[in-house]
Amino acid sequence: MASDQDLVIETVRGLLARHEPFDPTPERRWDAGLWSALAENGLTGVGLPESAGGSGGELADAVAIVRTLASGAGAVPVAEQLLVAGPAVIAAGLPLPPVDEPLTFGHAEGVRATPAGDGWSLSGTVADVPWGGAAAHVALLATGPDGAVLALLPTAGLPASGAVNLAGEPRSTLELDGVPAVAAPLNPAQVRELRAGYALARAVQLTAALEQVLAWTVQYAGERQQFGRSLAKFQAIQMELAEMAGEVTAVTALTDAAVQALHHGSDDFWLAAAAAKVRAGAAVEVVARLAHQVHGAIGFTQEHKLHHLTKRLWSWRDEAGSELVWSKVLAQGLLADGPNGLWPALTRVV
Amino acid sequence: MTNPLTLAPAPRSEAAERLRGEVRDFLAEEMAAGTFSTHVDTWLSGVDPEFSRRLGARGWLGMTWPKEYGGHERTAMERYAVTEELLAAGAPVAAHWIADRQSGPNLLRYGTEAQRREILPRIARGECYFVIGMSEPDSGSDLASIRTKAVRNEAGDWVVNGAKVWTSNAHASHYGIVLVRTAPVDTANRHAGMSQLLIDLSLPGITVNPIRILDGGHHFNEVVFEDVVVPGDMLLGTEGDGWHQVTAELAFERSGPERFLSTYPLVAEFGRRVVDSGDPAALAVLGRLSARVLALRQMSLRIAAALDRGELPNIPAALVKDVGTTFEADVIDEIRRVVDVLPSLDSPDPLARALAEAQLHAPGYTLRGGTNEILRGIVARGLGLR
Ligand SMILES: Cc1cc2nc3c(=O)[nH]c(=O)nc-3n(C[C@H](O)[C@H](O)[C@H](O)COP(=O)(O)OP(=O)(O)OC[C@H]3O[C@@H](n4cnc5c(N)ncnc54)[C@H](O)[C@@H]3O)c2cc1C
Repeated sequence: MASDQDLVIETVRGLLARHEPFDPTPERRWDAGLWSALAENGLTGVGLPESAGGSGGELADAVAIVRTLASGAGAVPVAEQLLVAGPAVIAAGLPLPPVDEPLTFGHAEGVRATPAGDGWSLSGTVADVPWGGAAAHVALLATGPDGAVLALLPTAGLPASGAVNLAGEPRSTLELDGVPAVAAPLNPAQVRELRAGYALARAVQLTAALEQVLAWTVQYAGERQQFGRSLAKFQAIQMELAEMAGEVTAVTALTDAAVQALHHGSDDFWLAAAAAKVRAGAAVEVVARLAHQVHGAIGFTQEHKLHHLTKRLWSWRDEAGSELVWSKVLAQGLLADGPNGLWPALTRVV
Repeated sequence: MTNPLTLAPAPRSEAAERLRGEVRDFLAEEMAAGTFSTHVDTWLSGVDPEFSRRLGARGWLGMTWPKEYGGHERTAMERYAVTEELLAAGAPVAAHWIADRQSGPNLLRYGTEAQRREILPRIARGECYFVIGMSEPDSGSDLASIRTKAVRNEAGDWVVNGAKVWTSNAHASHYGIVLVRTAPVDTANRHAGMSQLLIDLSLPGITVNPIRILDGGHHFNEVVFEDVVVPGDMLLGTEGDGWHQVTAELAFERSGPERFLSTYPLVAEFGRRVVDSGDPAALAVLGRLSARVLALRQMSLRIAAALDRGELPNIPAALVKDVGTTFEADVIDEIRRVVDVLPSLDSPDPLARALAEAQLHAPGYTLRGGTNEILRGIVARGLGLR
């Protein structure tokens, strides 16, 4: 399918290829070289308005960049910057840091934000901050005196733990002890949108990685020979690949619809995002399991590229709100209009 | 990276959404008047000719066909909205379902002018019902192995002998589109030598024997043909082209929302229970099931949009049917793990009844219209594996 995003996708693929995304060096937690190359090409501000310091362009362009990076296991916080923290900072009226410096996001309800002079002061601990040690700035959903606030602060000099997710992506704990920040209060609807945006960012990444894992597995089944023919010729393997394709196609259809809901500013965007996150996460079980099964022992090794994506799948499905959390949010939202409201809600959300 | 089975997104159709509202109002009135009660899998079991005629009067049958044949020249997206609403409500749509879904479009494509003028307006009025005459006792998935035979006599008519089986609603239908062998088996091309005949089920020599399904219901049948003389002009399409025509029919047979909504009335009942109980485990299950419904709707809408573009997306339709029918059956166990309900057809509890109906119909979801194994073989072909 040709799309308006072909050019941006080609550019990102070219950069990824030069930065050897599947170079198996587990100690390389984040890819500074890839980040600079993306920034030099103006790709780290796409979808953020120029008036706010972004590079302009459509949401669809930002999504295409995030998808391409996810399918290539790019170790950079672009999803966080373009789809979560960047839009949130702008919506809250805070100053967007320069887009060539990585900006990330953290759920920090346990962090207290108190007004201090012209600005704010933050204290508390926030865990699971993606790329916490690598990002230059972090936007935190913290707790102020009158409810939620979005706080923005530089990360330089902050103690960050070296924790990582299953794929080795940094998921740091930050200790804040009276750290100065700028901040703006958020109303409950804004908080809901922000959480949903984070979930959708992970759903977009999951979708791209699921598609890539399917493509790799189909390709491998065509190449690997046993019993004198390719694995693809065995009906048992065909059934497994078809099952994977069913899951992946379902996920793509729903994630695309959720992105459209965001694009159109739908009131139901948060439910669409919740559904996309749940559906994409649920597909991981089948797709990652069967991908490894079809690849055999070679796929179980560090040398083979498969694990770069399957480990991300196993991590991303529970990040930005677990499947359990989002499935309950989704059900509650769909039932909001009472016992007979489920079907009308299902046909309204996307 | 792009998955070859992914179709373009469906544009939102305002016309379809307006129509959806009209169907909802109609269904609310019908339910208030007590004309039907909700059941699971009603596109197999809910035969109600009066209800079908009321749909016809509203213009909700033959929706996409030309007006000159009694149709309404609506889009596939509009038809999608109407059928989806009827299924979600568990309305009795079985009488006309096959005629409206696939026999009519098949006649439109391959029928003679006389056949179309005679039959299509009656289908669109909700008065004329069809069966699919494909499967035979020895020919299920391997449809090309059928043995029912039609031979031309001196008068130019067809003399049909053989038996079809699992023929849904043959006892309540007027016509069948029957796949028959019209030339001896060609070992070099096993898809050659078959044709489709349009057969009036009241013709002498046809016997319809009921076959009961697990819940005791009479939905499908054995249809025996003994020297049945079918007028020569009742050939559908081209002699010898039966296989090709059947394949085109399958895009309509496999692509609709009935391939994931057969058990939706159970989900709706479960939703009502969750509103009452607020049980967190049940909420989580409802959320997961809902995410699956939402994804299936998007997949199925993409098929409707492709039909509106004039495509016949056979392979994506097979894929949606595989994912959708798997969902229909999964619903049962997902729900029963989080509710303390004993399934029973005669329980006063609507959830217990819906669970029982869904369970007793479950084996059929992943068999009818081509088994999921066969569908996955088609998907594998779409992936370039075979
Ligand atoms: C509720 C219901 C309604 C129906 N209505 C109609 C109707 O109106 N008209 C009509 O013509 N037919 C109808 N059918 C029949 C339906 O099309 C057949 O049941 C279906 O095509 C499978 O054929 P079979 O039942 O003979 O199973 P078989 O073909 O014998 O298959 C049995 C099992 O073997 C598997 N299998 C078979 N071949 C392969 C293969 N090559 N590779 C892997 N696995 C394989 C199948 O997937 C299945 O699991 C209906 C069936 C049901 C359940």
